[in-house]
Amino acid sequence: MNPLQVVQLLLFPGLTFFVWLAFVFEWLERKTSARMQGRLGPVVTGPFGILQPVADFFKLASKEEIIPAQSDKFVLRWGPALYFAAPAIGIAFLPILGFQSILFDPLDLLFMLFILAFSTLMAAMLGYASAGRYSTIAVGRLVVQYTSYEVPLILSMVTPAVLARSLSIQGIAAAQGSMWYIVIVPVAFAVFIIASLAELEKPPFDIPSAKTEIVGGWMTEFSGNTLAYVKLTKSLSYVFLSALAVSLFLGGPGGPVISADQNLQALFYTVYFMVKLFAVGFLIFVIRTALARVRIDQATRLFWTFITPLSLAQLAVAIFVGFR
Amino acid sequence: MKEVSRRRVGKALGEMFRTALEKPVTEEYPFGDKVVTERFRGRLDIDPVKCTGCSICEIVCPAEVITMVPVGKKLIGTREVEIKRPSFELFTCISCGQCVDDCKFGALTLTHTFELAVFKKESTLMKKGLNIGK
Amino acid sequence: MSEDLQHGQRKELSAGLIQYSVESAMPFGPIHPSLKEPEYFKLILEGERIVQVIPRIGYVHRGIERAAQERTWVKNIYLFERICGICSFAHSLGYTHAVEALTPFEVPKRAKYIRVIVAELERIHSHLLWLGLLGHWAGFDTLFMWIWKDREHILDLEEAITGNRVHKSYSTFGGVRMDLPDGIAAKLKTEMKYIEKRVDYYENLVGAEETLTVRTKGVGRISQETARRLSPVGPLLRCTGIARDVRVEDPYAAYDEIAPRVQTSNDGDIASLLTLRLNEIRESCWMVSEAAERLPTGPYKVSIPRAVPRGESMFHVEAPRGELFYFVKSGGGSAPERVKIRTSTMANLLTATEMLKGCTLADVPVVLTGMDPCFGCMDRISVLDVGQSKEWSVRGEELRTYGIEYYRKRLS
Repeated sequence: MNPLQVVQLLLFPGLTFFVWLAFVFEWLERKTSARMQGRLGPVVTGPFGILQPVADFFKLASKEEIIPAQSDKFVLRWGPALYFAAPAIGIAFLPILGFQSILFDPLDLLFMLFILAFSTLMAAMLGYASAGRYSTIAVGRLVVQYTSYEVPLILSMVTPAVLARSLSIQGIAAAQGSMWYIVIVPVAFAVFIIASLAELEKPPFDIPSAKTEIVGGWMTEFSGNTLAYVKLTKSLSYVFLSALAVSLFLGGPGGPVISADQNLQALFYTVYFMVKLFAVGFLIFVIRTALARVRIDQATRLFWTFITPLSLAQLAVAIFVGFR
Repeated sequence: MKEVSRRRVGKALGEMFRTALEKPVTEEYPFGDKVVTERFRGRLDIDPVKCTGCSICEIVCPAEVITMVPVGKKLIGTREVEIKRPSFELFTCISCGQCVDDCKFGALTLTHTFELAVFKKESTLMKKGLNIGK
Repeated sequence: MSEDLQHGQRKELSAGLIQYSVESAMPFGPIHPSLKEPEYFKLILEGERIVQVIPRIGYVHRGIERAAQERTWVKNIYLFERICGICSFAHSLGYTHAVEALTPFEVPKRAKYIRVIVAELERIHSHLLWLGLLGHWAGFDTLFMWIWKDREHILDLEEAITGNRVHKSYSTFGGVRMDLPDGIAAKLKTEMKYIEKRVDYYENLVGAEETLTVRTKGVGRISQETARRLSPVGPLLRCTGIARDVRVEDPYAAYDEIAPRVQTSNDGDIASLLTLRLNEIRESCWMVSEAAERLPTGPYKVSIPRAVPRGESMFHVEAPRGELFYFVKSGGGSAPERVKIRTSTMANLLTATEMLKGCTLADVPVVLTGMDPCFGCMDRISVLDVGQSKEWSVRGEELRTYGIEYYRKRLS
C-alpha cells in the first residue's frame, strides 16, 4: 500500500470522514424527527445544535465504566473494538472519490455480507457477555430478527450484482452509468431499505433494543467508553448501509461531470455521493419517525411471508433482464 | 362509531411533513420569555402595612411555612400584649394560596415569580413581614 | 415455594395459583422504564408467553391516610389532591363532597357547574396523556409528541381557570375557591372545537396505522364474564360492553343536569380501550361546552364553618380511571378521625394481570398501560402467606423489627 492510500484510509474519504458523517447523520436524524414531531431537537451546542452528538460522545467517554461482576470481561474489553472495526473497514471498499475505492477486491460484495454478519455476531457476543437478564432476552430477539432479515438483505444486494455481472462494489457502481439500478429493480431497493431498518434496529424493527420493554436491549449493561463507541458504531453502520445503498442502487458517485481536471472531477464525484447519501439517510429517518414498533413474531412473519418472496421474485426479474 | 379509512402503513406521513414546516411548539424559555396566566400561583409576598398579626395564616397553612415571631409589645388598656408578625420559610411553601384566601386584611398575595432555585436554603427565609407598618 | 421444581415445570395449586420453578419467573419492576411508578410484577413465562402474573404492591406507599389524621380539614384538601397528579381534581372533589355531606350546607348551582367543567377538563387531559403514553410504549414516539402537544392546550386552560396546571387546589368546602375568569366561556368553546378536530384525526390514525393496530388489536382481551367476576371499574369495565358510570348512576355536582352518554366498546382488548377513551374525550368536550353555555349566575361558594359535625360519610366520584371512593369519619374535632380511599387502580389491578395471561413479554408495557395505572394512588401493605392460607396486616413496628431480625440472620 502506498502512503497516499494510507492517508486516504485514515483521513479522507476514510475513517475520519466517515466518523464525521456519522455524527452529522445522528444530528440530522434527531433534528428531522424532532421537527416532524413539533419540537426543536438539539439547539444549544454549536449552531443549530450540530455539535450535540460530539458532546454526547465525549460525555459518555468521560463517565465511569461499570462492569457487572458476572460478565465476561475479556469480551467486554475487546468486543467493542471489533464491533467498531467491522463497518469502519467496510467503508474503505466504497467508491467515493471516483469509481475507484481505496481498497479493492474483485469479490468485495461478499466481504460486505461478511461485515454485516460479523456486526450482528459481535453485538450478540457483547450482549451475552454482559450477563444480565435483559441483555439475554435482547440477544435472543436480535438473533431471531437477524435470521429473518438476512435472507432478503442478501438477495437484494445480489440483484444489482446480477445486473452488473460483477461482484465488486466499484464494478457495480461503474456499470450503472446513467441508468441507475433503482429504476430497473426498485423493489430490490425497497427491500434493501426495509432490511436495513431491521439491521440498524430502527422502528419498526427496533425490537432488540426496545427502550420501553427491555431497558436497553443488548446495550443495557454498557456505560462509559464502551457505550460511547457502541453508539458511534451504530451511527457508523447507519452511514455504511446508506453508502452501500447509494453504491449499489443509485449509481455510486456518478453524475454529470463538467470538468476534465482530475481533482475537480473528484470533487464533483464526492458532492454527488454526499447528496445521494443524505437523500437515502433522509428516507430512512422519515420511515423511522412514521412507524410504531412491531412485535418480534410479527416482524418474523412479515419478513418470511412477504419480503423474502418479493425479493426472490425481484431477483428472478433481474436475471431475466440481465440475460436479455 | 365512525368508519375508519382502510388500513395502511405510514398513515402519519402527511401530518409529519405538515408539522415539520410549522413553527415548533417548544417554548423558548429560557432563551425567550415565559408567559404565565393571570392567576398563576408563584412566590408568596406580604404587604407589612396591612398585616395585623392575627395569626390566621399560621393556623391554616398546610405546609407549616409560617411562624409567628414576637416583635414587640403594646399596651391595650392596662394589659401588655405581645405583637407578633409572620416569618415565612418559603422553601417549604407549596403556593396553594390558602393563606391568601383566609387573610381578612388582604396582606398576602401570590406573585408571578416562578424562578425560585437558590444555592443556600437560608436565603428563602422571608422576614419582610416582621417590619411593623413599613 | 416449598418443593424444588425442574425448570419449565409447573404445578397447579388451588384457586388458579400455580407453583413455578425459579428460572421461569421474570421480574418486571419495581424499577422499569415502562412503569411510571414502581410496582413489582412477577411474570411467570413459558417461552415468551406469560402464564401468570403475581403483583406485589407497597413500593410507593406514603401513609397518606395516617397523615390525614394529624391535619385539619382544610389542610387535608391539599394533602389529598397530591395523591395523584393526573386525577388530582377527582381526589379533591371526592374529599370535599364527602365532608360537605356531613354538614347541612348545600353547594350553590354555579359552583356545581364550575366543578363539572374542571373535572371534565381533567378527564380530557388524563385520557390524552394516556393515549400519548400508549403510543410511547408501543414505540410510536411521533404519536406521543403530537398528543402531548395538544394536551398543552388543556393545561393552559386549566392554568387560566385555577392557577396551576397539575395540582389545581380549586375545590374547597362549599364550592370553588374563586370564580371563573372573564371571557373564559368563549375560550373554552374554541379549545373544545380544536380538541374535537384533533380527536377525529387521532381516531383515524390509530385505527388505520398498521404497525399500531397489530400491537393493540386482540391484545389483552378479556370477556364480559371475566369482567363481572373480577369487577374492574372505569374504562376497563366499559370496554367489555358493560355500561357502568358513577356520573350517571349516582350523579353528583351538576351531572344530573348535564348527563354524560356512557360510552362503551365491545371487544375488551387494547384497541377497544383506545376507541373508548377517544369517544370519552369527545363526550367530555361536549359536556364542557354545554356547561360553559348553561352556566348559572350566583355565588361560587358558600361559607362553611371550620368544625365539621360528628358523623360518617361515603362518597364516590368518577375519576378518569374509574370509580374513586372516599370514606370520611368525623369525631367533631378539627382533624378527621379516619379517611379511607379506594382508588380505581386497586380494583383494576387483578383484571390487568388477567389480561396479561397469554400475552408475550413485548405486550406487557402496552397492556399495563391499558389499564391506566396509577400506583401512587393505590398502594397499601398486606401480607399473604399462600402456604399457610393465612392473611393479616402488619403494623409498622412489627415490620421494622421483623426486617432487622431477618437481615441479621441472613448476614450472620
